[in-house]
Amino acid sequence: MLSEEERKEIEAEAGQYDRKEAGSVEALKVVQRHRGWVSDEAIRDISAALDMTPDELDAVATFYSFIFRREVGRNLILVCDSVACYVMGYQGVLDSIKEKLGIDLGGTTEDRRFTLLPISCLGQCDKAPAIMINEDIYGNLGPEMLDSILSRYK
Amino acid sequence: MIELTINGIKVQTPPKTTILQAALANGIYIPHLCWDRRLTPYGGCRLCLVEVEGQKKLFAACSSPAENNMVVHTETPKLEKARKTVLELLLVHHPLDCPICDKAGECELQELAFKYGPAESRFAAERKHDPESLAAPLIERNPNRCILCGKCVRVCREHQGVGAINLLGRGFKSKVSPAFEETLDCEFCGQCVDACPVGALGTKPFRYRSRVWFLEDKENICPYCGVGCTTTLSLREGKIVRARGIDGTGINEGDLCPRGRFGFDYIESEHRLTTPLIRKEGNLQPATWEEALGYISERLSEIKSRFGAETIGAIGSERCSVEDNYMLKKFMDALGSKNIDSRAHFGYGKISEALKKAFNIRALPVELNAPLKADVLFVLESDLTSTHPIYGLKVLAAKRDLGATLLVADPKQTKLARWATRWMRIKPATGAALVNGIMKAMLDEGIYDKKAEGTHGFDALKEALAKYTPEKVSEITGISADEIRNAAKTLASARNPMLFASIGSSENTKGTGTMLALMDLCLLLGRGPEALGLPAEFADTLGMLEAGVRPEGGLNVEDMLYRPNLRALYIMGENPAVTFPDAAKAEEVLKGIEFLVVQDILLTETAQMAHVVLPAASWAEKEGFFVGATGKPQKFIKCLPETGSSMPDWQILRNLGRLMQLDMGAKDEEGLDAEIANHLSLCFREQAAASFVPVEQAEMEMPDSGHPLILATGILMQHSGSLTTISKNISSAIADAYIQVNPRDAKTYGVVDEKFTKITAKDGASIYVKAKVTDEVPEGMLFVPAHFAHARVNLLTKPSANGEAPTVAVKIEGA
Ligand code: SF4
Ligand code: SF4
Ligand code: SF4
Ligand code: FES
Ligand code: FES
Repeated sequence: MLSEEERKEIEAEAGQYDRKEAGSVEALKVVQRHRGWVSDEAIRDISAALDMTPDELDAVATFYSFIFRREVGRNLILVCDSVACYVMGYQGVLDSIKEKLGIDLGGTTEDRRFTLLPISCLGQCDKAPAIMINEDIYGNLGPEMLDSILSRYK
Repeated sequence: MIELTINGIKVQTPPKTTILQAALANGIYIPHLCWDRRLTPYGGCRLCLVEVEGQKKLFAACSSPAENNMVVHTETPKLEKARKTVLELLLVHHPLDCPICDKAGECELQELAFKYGPAESRFAAERKHDPESLAAPLIERNPNRCILCGKCVRVCREHQGVGAINLLGRGFKSKVSPAFEETLDCEFCGQCVDACPVGALGTKPFRYRSRVWFLEDKENICPYCGVGCTTTLSLREGKIVRARGIDGTGINEGDLCPRGRFGFDYIESEHRLTTPLIRKEGNLQPATWEEALGYISERLSEIKSRFGAETIGAIGSERCSVEDNYMLKKFMDALGSKNIDSRAHFGYGKISEALKKAFNIRALPVELNAPLKADVLFVLESDLTSTHPIYGLKVLAAKRDLGATLLVADPKQTKLARWATRWMRIKPATGAALVNGIMKAMLDEGIYDKKAEGTHGFDALKEALAKYTPEKVSEITGISADEIRNAAKTLASARNPMLFASIGSSENTKGTGTMLALMDLCLLLGRGPEALGLPAEFADTLGMLEAGVRPEGGLNVEDMLYRPNLRALYIMGENPAVTFPDAAKAEEVLKGIEFLVVQDILLTETAQMAHVVLPAASWAEKEGFFVGATGKPQKFIKCLPETGSSMPDWQILRNLGRLMQLDMGAKDEEGLDAEIANHLSLCFREQAAASFVPVEQAEMEMPDSGHPLILATGILMQHSGSLTTISKNISSAIADAYIQVNPRDAKTYGVVDEKFTKITAKDGASIYVKAKVTDEVPEGMLFVPAHFAHARVNLLTKPSANGEAPTVAVKIEGA
């Protein structure tokens, strides 16, 4: 069931277009904003609200890497694996995060504090290697800086 | 017309067509994998690349409009190289398991690889290795072979109006799947399978059955509904192993529904009759043809001489051929009895009755593509995409592809209701009142066609409609007066309106009155019968009626089966004990009949009561003509030998007639066909003299506090009468009756989804059926399909004395 609030926001998004389905990505983002991820049930509910079939919306949802179809942690760590970062020490940073959190790429810590995912170029090549946590960017990283950075996220 | 040059040849093509269409229409082949005539261009596979002079880029022919003076080349070294690369890329991930792929030999990818190959791949990449999906009935998916052309997805959504599958994921991981990678649960039309250019989708009954080059293909006419589709049967060692729709073939042009694609295996049923049976000491025992026919001849002659021919009756079949029905009629004529009728009495007979009154015609053939020319389409209480799937698709296409306005009045959320421009969710069986309301609104606002004033009966109509004010009709139908007025305006402003309805013999919410109301509306819009789309139900409904199987001056099925009028009854290809309303009563009368002959392909419930049972050859084991809804005689052919000693129905009747020394006319098939051709050509030629026939909304059995729900019976898209229930293929998808209950009613009456439910009528008759809780039906209404013998749905239904809608009020309890 969509909450009242979610429903209103979705309708507002969909209302901007001639065809409601044009608002599908925004609608998925609305639910993700509220719940952190988009479940099968949510796909059914949103698709009904947009006059789509569930398979159509699932096709949209599974196309975008950042629409989460599985539950994710409270904070999202995105590690850039594109060229500049790759040559400037990506592996060290990644290994260190993995070790500290005890999870692999795609994993979520047991306390649901972090989920670790790869991402393509963050546009921070001059400060490579770079990562992004939630909306914050960190560049010129070395493994030794990670403790203090991670400690900012609860 | 647009003029362009392709490969040095000047060709013409209509405006708004693409280069690919122009080329194909002129016999120039351009390879293409993702284009389909029925769908919007997708431009996904890039195989249809062509060169256009003066343009640097290569063009995708399927999605580039043809323009005047364009100079196009389809075969150049540059294109050859480009296509080779595209194929190379397609083959990078392809499993190349052609040796065990059922598609091999008719796979488009294989053919193109053969034409442009042998491609040595310059790429090293992972091959796909997803498991096959075999859990769903009838349809298998092998994602590894998929080239992601998206045809299946688009056919399902754009053409079928379903949307059961999609391309999930992205890049290497993309695959065709239902949402959440669940098991496919859809209409099982199989249209996606025919659309797939490779072996990624297949029909399970054909899995590993044969290499395609060992198959012999035969085009035949589908034995089920009135549309009369051509289904291409593939034979291997005396068995039909699959049925396909071939693009452009038959009046269906390659489209098929679940029945036509999967229902062919009913003829293989292990319950087929192989020899005549005679009841001896209470039991049916095998006999020879001589014995059986001799015995029938003796008994019929005796009854005729003692009680008169008028105590003998016959029931024909909308599924038998024209020849079979013609011969049955001839036999009865020769015997001297006019008592002949069929199940059409409960179905198309009601439409026929209305046509006689309004237009003085007995039958009205439909033109399959007529819906595509309409700008406003009005569908009244009819689930056309289930009763006449391929005709229904045309209605859908008019709305979706051509932008027509689709008005649907139906309590059920049918597929057409889902796609409708406006869906009027009327209360069950109130169609006549709604149409009256619409007409009244048109009269009030003066927006009817003034020609109508000159039509006979106009004043009577005006008078009769006086009480059907939109407000009053709103009370009866449950939709607002404004909606009714709106519908009136939409219809009145149409350039080319069309009105649709069908009546299945197992449906109980529509009657002659409903049809007359629709015909009145048609006349008030200033139109004639050509604006009506009233398709006949079965493969040979019109053929049977025109062959004379209709009660002119004799007893009809109600007189024969619900009142003890007969001493002897001859039933051909019909199973009244299951498929007729009020089955208990019919059974009682049948049991009381002194001499009952049943001629059928199976030992049906009715045959089990007979004194003599005769084995008939089935469809595909005999040839003949069907005249379905389109009114065109279509020849169906013999593909297999008869089962056991069975014979075509008409031959049995001819032999019997000869034995009884009756004049049976034609001696052989050719003579018979010539005789029938004479007869048939008369059929639709009567003069149409239109007149208004005002009707009242019929009195129905009303729900009350004890029996608060209305039970509607009807048809599923996957089934046809009780015949498809013996098809193993079809039964693997839907084998059981279920009753649809609105979630609120389910809550009120303690009904649980998937659990057995008891349904009781006012007279105390009751049945148990599984419940399906869904808001496809509105509160206050139940829907149950009438196909399944063991569900005994017809214990609850009633035939109607006056051709009206015999709705049933019931109560329901969780059990
Ligand atoms: S069988 Fe028909 S309804 Fe089912 S997925 Fe294929 S096209 Fe869609
Ligand atoms: S399953 Fe067949 S039709 Fe569907 S996308 Fe794949 S190749 Fe195309
Ligand atoms: S049942 Fe009707 S619509 Fe379906 S394939 Fe047969 S003739 Fe065509
Ligand atoms: S490559 Fe990592 S930020 Fe650009
Ligand atoms: S047919 Fe034109 S791109 Fe596929």
